[in-house]
Amino acid sequence: MTTGAYISSAAHTAFIAFLLFGGLFSRDRLPPVEVAEVSLISAEEFAALTMPEDAPDAATDTAALVAPPPDAEPEPQAEPEPIVEAALAPPPPEPDVPAPPSAPELDVIETPPPPPLADTSPDEPEIIAPPTVEDGTDLPQDDTPAPADRVAPEPAAPAEPSAEEAPEVVEETAPEETPEAPAEPQEAAAPEEATTEIVTEAEEPEETAPTTSVRPRSRPKRAPRVAETPTPEPEPETDSTAAAVAAAVAEAAQTPAPSQPSGPPLTAGQKDALRVAVQQCWNTGSLSSEALRITVTLTVNMNPDGKPDNGSIRMLGFEGGSNGAAKQAYEAARRAVIRCGLNGYNLPVEKYDQWSTIEMTFNPERMRIK
Amino acid sequence: MTILRLIAFSVALMLAPFASAQQSGPLRIEITEGVIEPLPIAVAPFVAENPAAANFAGQISQVIGQNLAGTGLFREIGRDAFISQVSSFTAPIRFADWKAINAQALITGAVSVDGNGRLVVKFRLFDVFSEAELGEGLQFVGDRENWRRVAHKVSDQVYSRITGETGYFDSRIVFVSESGPKNARQKRLAIMDYDGANIQFLTDTSSIVLAPRFSPTGDRVLYTSYETGFPQIYELSVGNVQRRQLDVPAEAMTFAPRYAPDGRTVVFSLAQGGNTDIFTLNLDTGARQRLTSAPSIETAPSFSPDGRQIVFESDRSATQQLYVMGAGGGEPRRISFGQGRYGTPVWSPRGDLVAFTKQNQGRFHIGVMRTDGSEERLLTASFLDEGPTWAPNGRVIMFTRETAGASGAPSLFSVDISGRNLRRVPVDGSASDPAWSPLLQ
Amino acid sequence: MAYLNKALLLTAAIALGACSTDADRFGDGSGTPAAGQFDNGGLGDPNDPTSLAYFQQTVGDRVLFVVDQSTLTPQAMVTLDEQASWLANNPEFTAIIEGHADERGTREYNLALGARRASAAQDYLVSRGVAPGRLRTVTYGKERPLEICSDEACYSQNRRAVTVLTAGLTG
Repeated sequence: MTTGAYISSAAHTAFIAFLLFGGLFSRDRLPPVEVAEVSLISAEEFAALTMPEDAPDAATDTAALVAPPPDAEPEPQAEPEPIVEAALAPPPPEPDVPAPPSAPELDVIETPPPPPLADTSPDEPEIIAPPTVEDGTDLPQDDTPAPADRVAPEPAAPAEPSAEEAPEVVEETAPEETPEAPAEPQEAAAPEEATTEIVTEAEEPEETAPTTSVRPRSRPKRAPRVAETPTPEPEPETDSTAAAVAAAVAEAAQTPAPSQPSGPPLTAGQKDALRVAVQQCWNTGSLSSEALRITVTLTVNMNPDGKPDNGSIRMLGFEGGSNGAAKQAYEAARRAVIRCGLNGYNLPVEKYDQWSTIEMTFNPERMRIK
Repeated sequence: MTILRLIAFSVALMLAPFASAQQSGPLRIEITEGVIEPLPIAVAPFVAENPAAANFAGQISQVIGQNLAGTGLFREIGRDAFISQVSSFTAPIRFADWKAINAQALITGAVSVDGNGRLVVKFRLFDVFSEAELGEGLQFVGDRENWRRVAHKVSDQVYSRITGETGYFDSRIVFVSESGPKNARQKRLAIMDYDGANIQFLTDTSSIVLAPRFSPTGDRVLYTSYETGFPQIYELSVGNVQRRQLDVPAEAMTFAPRYAPDGRTVVFSLAQGGNTDIFTLNLDTGARQRLTSAPSIETAPSFSPDGRQIVFESDRSATQQLYVMGAGGGEPRRISFGQGRYGTPVWSPRGDLVAFTKQNQGRFHIGVMRTDGSEERLLTASFLDEGPTWAPNGRVIMFTRETAGASGAPSLFSVDISGRNLRRVPVDGSASDPAWSPLLQ
Repeated sequence: MAYLNKALLLTAAIALGACSTDADRFGDGSGTPAAGQFDNGGLGDPNDPTSLAYFQQTVGDRVLFVVDQSTLTPQAMVTLDEQASWLANNPEFTAIIEGHADERGTREYNLALGARRASAAQDYLVSRGVAPGRLRTVTYGKERPLEICSDEACYSQNRRAVTVLTAGLTG
């Protein structure tokens, strides 16, 4: 380069910069903000939430938001602009549903079954190499497909490469594929790929081409395989784990209890089946780390058909965190009870007296870092 | 299945002798296992309440969906699957239709442009299976050109109501935009929304600029520039793009500046005679204080959120490791003890974790550890990852990932602190050294 | 001839000062040797012992370091000895010593490492009689690699301290 070029380029750079920033940053100051009216809503709307409300305080937020912009910034183009926030009146209730949705019959609608069970055994997993995607990096390990999006008590092998199993690097602008949200119930849907642990990129093996499926590698420790497992692997598919466990108990334990008319308590197997059924819908994936430290207990009244009376669900108590976080923890637990109870829990009707009211304690201790 | 059967079998056998015992009170069970998966959420297209709002309504609901799905905590259900449409903000919700597509949360909203030409955005959030509203409906009023910020504010509310922690969508990133070949890279400061939208440049390309950091109020930025031909620390006002060189000895090289939580103190590194130490500078008085005086390298300082401590890196033990000292200096204690080298520590906004860059066996990682060095977890691995920055809620980390080779280039990535949801932040061109702002007000 | 060269250099230095951009200085100072090797872009005749080209190519304007080290190798000391004697013979020149690192490190650590390397070269030149006032150091960390591949072959060339002559204007 020559001296002339240096001087010229410096001058041009300065000029261009002036043009750029002169244009970019000289917009007029925004007009002052008006305070919008705040109309609060009645508390009854949230009667179902037994928790004291300490969600965002709309009034406080509004006050904070409408504070005039600081005078220090003469040209606040790039500064936070005031956005006024106000609470709204509650929405009208759904007309064809009584205010407290206590009649569970109303919930009897054609709904799909709960999401595929994580521990429903797929056909003996085929060995499918995860799709590898080239994203321009030189290193193959950077293109390793993502660990499963779902962490469940039992691992499930990947069904087949599909749009759902996005490569680990996802452009945020990529349109969200939603193959899991079918309008039609899909009984035969393959289980979602699931691992029992979060596998971070840092923990992945460097070699990419896997020669085995994920499933055997990540089998949970707490359920070790016993050598004399009698059943051959390709066993008939059962509709749900709950049913399978209940059946197993019935045939294996050969206890006389189930034949009695009413009164006797549930067997451990029957209780376990209920526990397993609920835990499949207990999704802690969207909870804050504080909410994940909270053990919450709720009570639910049950109908004889095994369906929960959704309107009866109440939080009995919690421990391990603040009211605010307990609210989210309770809501996640409530969703689990309702969702997995849509088609009724598999409970022995002759023992209805024993389970007409159920207290469930949701302890996320093992769900924190998996 | 087999295993479950076996467990059930043995449990049943064990308990068989007690089977006849009568039980009193409600049935009690304890759930200790669940699933961790994105929560399926439906964002009903926001209703445009007048024609001027039509464009905004579609864009706002789209950005809300992208924001939530982008966290990895939610999965947006495609509109194709919707059974009922929300044609009016006040119409009752047909929960059965949303249960049928397994939408566990539903967002409805409406957009209008008021008489002053301002955008009015209303939304509600529903727990579909409980048929209950989560929190109360809210209305935001803002300028039309700020429609993305309104969408971010709605997203922050939804995120907070479901997860229990504050959101991070209404925030920005200051970073270094890069262009040109690897051996003559041009760098300039730029600022953008957290999701890569609305990029604006804050400096030109005439000088190398490095490692910007936001002030606690988000209105100023500290960075290092070679404007004088030597690395020196600068402060820039985001509002008017005015910059000033900070008052440090002209003969010294200074870099790695960061604000204390009070916003009036800057901690930085000063290299003189080949030795790099950590100093603070009071922006009001110009008073300078030396915090370290070892012959080793001390750099990359980061204040704890309470302003009482500083975590930094030092090679006083022969390799780069992390240390914590008081805000006024004093004897530091080492907190990193794993294999490899540790650098660029950044204290989390919650105060409980330190994010860092780790170099081990030829690879670079972003990781987190507790502030005493325990519970180290590596979140990423690549040819070159470095420079973590925390989302304002402490849940997400953004960092620089650079690819190898002559055509190698840096880009920005984000990852959840669980190690899930690794994503490339969509930025045109190359980008490095991100720093996350606090939530905007 | 020598006068003309000096005049050229002086003009260039003034221009550089006006721009005060490191990128520009890299353009002819310590950029790719190929750029200034055969065209006469202000570096003078490589056969003229007082020219910048001679300093760059015959004396050697750079010394290399091993990974994460700032200790001078014996070979580096030989080069610096020659630089010291060249500077003794050409007292009208001052120099900026640039310290560089390879890309296998974090950005700010590499700045500190580059500062160490530049300082190591500076200290050695001073120990060989160059007046401290004629030397200044700057670190570029990993911001200005000379070679751009991601192999040790390139890294070893990038871990360097480069003595850039400045014609006495900043001294």
